[in-house]
Amino acid sequence: MNTEPTLMSLTSVAKAIAEKRVSSREAAQSCLDRIARWQPRLNAFMTIEAEEVLAAADAADGALAKGNRRGAQHGVPLAHKDMYYEAGKVVTCGSKIRRDFVATKTSTALQRLKDAGTIRLGSLQMAEFAYGPTGHNAHYGPVHNPWAVDRITGGSSSGSGSAVAARLTFAAMGSDTGGSIRMPAHFCGVTGLKTTYGRISRAGAMPLSQSLDTVGPLARTVEDCALLLGLMAGADAQDPTAVAGPVPDYMAAAREPIKGLTIGVPSAFYVDDLDPEVARILDETVAALKREGADIVQVELPDQRQLTASCQLVLAVEAAAFHKRWLIERPQDYGPQVLMRLQNGLAIPGVIYLEAMRWRGSALAAHLAAVAGVDAVIAPVAPVAAPTIAETDVGNSPDAESVIQRLTRFTRPINYLGLPSLSIPAGFTRGGLPVGMQLIGRSFDEAMLLRIGAAFQRVTDFHERAPKSA
Amino acid sequence: MTRPAAKEIKAIADIAGVAVSNEVAERIANSIGPAFEGFAAVAGTLPFDLEPATFILVQQAARTTHKKAAP
Repeated sequence: MNTEPTLMSLTSVAKAIAEKRVSSREAAQSCLDRIARWQPRLNAFMTIEAEEVLAAADAADGALAKGNRRGAQHGVPLAHKDMYYEAGKVVTCGSKIRRDFVATKTSTALQRLKDAGTIRLGSLQMAEFAYGPTGHNAHYGPVHNPWAVDRITGGSSSGSGSAVAARLTFAAMGSDTGGSIRMPAHFCGVTGLKTTYGRISRAGAMPLSQSLDTVGPLARTVEDCALLLGLMAGADAQDPTAVAGPVPDYMAAAREPIKGLTIGVPSAFYVDDLDPEVARILDETVAALKREGADIVQVELPDQRQLTASCQLVLAVEAAAFHKRWLIERPQDYGPQVLMRLQNGLAIPGVIYLEAMRWRGSALAAHLAAVAGVDAVIAPVAPVAAPTIAETDVGNSPDAESVIQRLTRFTRPINYLGLPSLSIPAGFTRGGLPVGMQLIGRSFDEAMLLRIGAAFQRVTDFHERAPKSA
Repeated sequence: MTRPAAKEIKAIADIAGVAVSNEVAERIANSIGPAFEGFAAVAGTLPFDLEPATFILVQQAARTTHKKAAP
């Protein structure tokens, strides 16, 4: 075989294993070989479980030889953000406080992937308690961007973005509370899906903000995200917010053409103060979608700054409430920035928090009315490509909040509204850094985003480009 | 609605059971001030009967609408 298995997409490698063109062991060994080359420079993995994954791969190959295929992802090695509980495994949540925490249950989303036949490759780095948008981690060090190792990955799913981009894992679960899937996808040049609040069960996933947390995949292609979403979505008795009803055929949706669809470009906010390269790539993305037959119109959205502020208020209070016991007993065990941000929530009165929660339905209704004439909205994920690790290493300095706000200003409104958003690689800066665009949909209409994103990937190759080893 | 001052934040944090120093209270005031300002136009304006579960109702209505619209 001429190609490293780890360079294949998730969909392709699963098919290759099923057809016995690639063994699960070959796939796992290929990932391990590549991890050995990249991990010292990226710091993307929290744990690498070489012996365990090879043993699991051999078992998967043995089962397949006997005609026992566990599911659609039989024998595919995957690693996920280190916040998804797996019974018997240490789940650090990127923290010192949970450095030795052993989970006693397995998260629903992870269990569904295991039921489909995936095997565990290890676990991925992340921002401490998923509370950081850059990829810095005071305890385990920053995760590095494989396109330029002095640059940030974005966070909080920093290891997921870095490892998927460097082709160390075929895909990874992330989580998105304020942009934590879309920003690593944007900065690292991979595809990331922030799902509708309620689309995938959060049971057994470390909580940050119960009203905003969403589970979703980062992968090489839209098709891979569609595949993973289909496996993970649906009702769950362990999470009453996970909605009931049939799960759409997302893979079928991703094959549909987009001729005749209408895509909205915001008239303000998302197009303000953009780096010129991001503005150029937005224009080029819109032009490509137009060539594929989509109608492009301008949309006027309600005041997004109010949504950003509301998101910040809700997130700060809910995170502080989850962490209150440790804030009292172990404040010294948090990194400075995470401690500072958790303390922020202490200062927000209950009435203000509840007003932000009460307004959420009205704000969503206003947004849906504003986009009634379009199938999706396109916008940048962030106003800039990946900044350097040094310039964003602001700790708990007075500049910290402004750096965080600048990076997350295009993602937080979507979390407050609970909407789905798909980040797709859309181009590169002249300096070689990837830039993503987000497609924002209506509640539970991930299928539409996957349809548009897949059509874009059929006529572009940004998602196929991999960073080169030094 | 005005952004809380450091002195007020220190008192609120104390009541919450997590005492903070003057320096930390000052830092919190700087950090959350913009969120208070951004939300000021909404605060105190919401109708009496509006409750948080409205969000779920609107979300579910949107789901039903686009499911009907799908081919």
